[in-house]
Amino acid sequence: MHFGSKKVIEGLSFDVARGETFGFLGSNGSGKTTTIRALLGIYRPTSGTLEINGKVFGDDFGSRLGYLPEERGLYKKESVLDVMTYFGRLKGLSKHEAQRFSRQYLDRVDLAGKADVRLDKLSGGEQQKIQLGVTIMNEPELLILDEPTKGFDPVNRRLLMDIIEERKAAGATVLMVTHQMEEVERLCDRIILLKDGRAEAYGTIDEVQNQFGGRTIRLKYSGKLPESPHYRVAVHETNYAELSVDESIDESQILKELVLAGVVVRGFTAAKRSLDDIFIQIYGEDEAAENATASNIEGQVKRHGTAQLGHGSAI
Amino acid sequence: MARHNLGTVVQFEFTRTVKKRRFWIATLAIPVLLAIVFGLVFASGSSTQESTEQQKNQSLDFSYSDASKLIDPSIATALGGTLEANPDTAVERVKEGKLNAFFSFPANMMKEPVLVYGTDHGIFKNGTYDAVAKQLVILSAQEKVGSEELTVAVQGDFSTESQTFKDGRPSGGLETVVPPLLFLVLFYVVIILLANQMLASTLEEKENRVTEMILTTLDPTTLVVGKVISLFMVGAVQSLVFTAPMVLGYVFFRDQLAMPDFDLSALQFQFLPMLVGALLFIGGFILFTGVLVGIGAVMPTAKDAGTVFAPVMISMFIPFYIVTMVVSDPGSMIVQIFTFFPFTAPITAMLRNAFGSLGTVSAAIVIAELFVFGFLALRVAVHLFRYGSIEYSRKLSFRRAFARKS
Repeated sequence: MHFGSKKVIEGLSFDVARGETFGFLGSNGSGKTTTIRALLGIYRPTSGTLEINGKVFGDDFGSRLGYLPEERGLYKKESVLDVMTYFGRLKGLSKHEAQRFSRQYLDRVDLAGKADVRLDKLSGGEQQKIQLGVTIMNEPELLILDEPTKGFDPVNRRLLMDIIEERKAAGATVLMVTHQMEEVERLCDRIILLKDGRAEAYGTIDEVQNQFGGRTIRLKYSGKLPESPHYRVAVHETNYAELSVDESIDESQILKELVLAGVVVRGFTAAKRSLDDIFIQIYGEDEAAENATASNIEGQVKRHGTAQLGHGSAI
Repeated sequence: MARHNLGTVVQFEFTRTVKKRRFWIATLAIPVLLAIVFGLVFASGSSTQESTEQQKNQSLDFSYSDASKLIDPSIATALGGTLEANPDTAVERVKEGKLNAFFSFPANMMKEPVLVYGTDHGIFKNGTYDAVAKQLVILSAQEKVGSEELTVAVQGDFSTESQTFKDGRPSGGLETVVPPLLFLVLFYVVIILLANQMLASTLEEKENRVTEMILTTLDPTTLVVGKVISLFMVGAVQSLVFTAPMVLGYVFFRDQLAMPDFDLSALQFQFLPMLVGALLFIGGFILFTGVLVGIGAVMPTAKDAGTVFAPVMISMFIPFYIVTMVVSDPGSMIVQIFTFFPFTAPITAMLRNAFGSLGTVSAAIVIAELFVFGFLALRVAVHLFRYGSIEYSRKLSFRRAFARKS
């Protein structure tokens, strides 16, 4: 796929099995959204197709698709119920079914009183909830979520995760484009990592971790971490670090090094390399940092919380 | 998925427009304004009629001199006049307010004007002097001729009824021109009313970032066609609201509103000109909407779209600037160019069709051209919408949009 003379996607091919949750990962500008848009016919690829059960994706599949685009937006001057009913009908529901679903959904997300309010009178978070409702109102067999947590507060994030899990339980296939590695680790069965329009890694999380080798040491400590040729600091927060270690290095040697350097070790867990670490290795420190900046603040808070929680339970 | 959604799109687009308070305020503003104007015309019409009657019957105190020997003294007396004994000082006496009015009838009224002097009674009442002076001449002349019929003939105060023939059959006059011209009026009204709405309507998906949701749910052709149909319906509603007060005024208050007394039963709806008019209207509408949708898809905002929109509108309406030539000299080169250039064709061809100067072959060519270019424009517009409206914040590159593959 080209944008002008620039080649943005090249030789990319992957399968998503029915009922699985698939993570589509990559740094900013790696071609994730472009790939999704090309698959859905929004962009025209130079070659290639999206095949579902062996059939090329076309307009007739639209009623079984739920797509949450990265660029969010609905008809802002219209009422919530009118917009939801309109999209419901476009997705094949009757007017009655669309209105019934809309009211049930609004009740679920505490917006029952806003059914007749114009969308532009709602807060950003409330609009996100409506957009999510529109995405799932036809109970889609294939759910494509492009940066689903972008702009979501923790409450909406929780709602989104619940919905993804519900759709998974109902047998739907979920394709998720994201930067949030802990969400990937929690939800995804398989992943693909994209760089410059090419697949850098592809498989289950275990397979990808094995493909890149090495391990991660999750360290809870106080003091100053010494520099060492035996490890690389992949994640560094207050009194917490994740050290990337080669397969050949014995963890006990690292522990010894730290203690000798005067570091007070409060927790020391060796595990396979984290996706964060692999991400940094693939995209480099600069790109990864840029990615982190692009992620929302809530996302970062959540990631820290999860890391600390996981760390604590591992000791 | 696509086709059965057309009704849903039409219903959504139409309903959301007519549900808005803003739409009704804008739509009702014009008939309300018309009603106010009609009301004022009605009021002033009544008072004008009354004052005209008063002026006619008014006995004016005046003196006159008659070098023409045309004025009948008895008629002058009946109108309040006396023969001036001293014409040389009459004007001075009028100036001083000692004499109300003085009329000086010259020896040859074909070469010299009747001089009318009067005391100022305000701009409207001052008109009485001229009216009485003219009336005095007319009545005196009538008396001299001794025949009312001759006077009417001389004054040209009579009507004619003409009948022309084409191919051995009556070809009709204005009554055959008016019906096909209704398509031109309809075209003009529809474009004026809907142009901005059409432009804004297609820009809306872009400005609201709703394009991706739409394109994965709905075939863009269905969306665009649905919008066109719903806007046509909106235009029909607006036209009805606008014309209602005029129809009511014509039917019930024609005389009071000084509306022309058309004998509508005399209108001749000839099949071929009406068919050509209808096809020109539909073809022109398709071409016009296709172009507007295309502009909406290419431009990122309504403001940007406005710069391209203006030249399209101007080229559409420019034939009105040469309307006299279109009617009187349809064979001229400029009229021929305007007839066949797609943007100027609808209005030029509709005018020529109404006035009977658009031949069958030319009509067929223009209609075919409008439909071909119209559907082409609509197709290009759908394509631009599909691949252009995703360019949310920038203008679409045509090269990229029409590249065989991106």
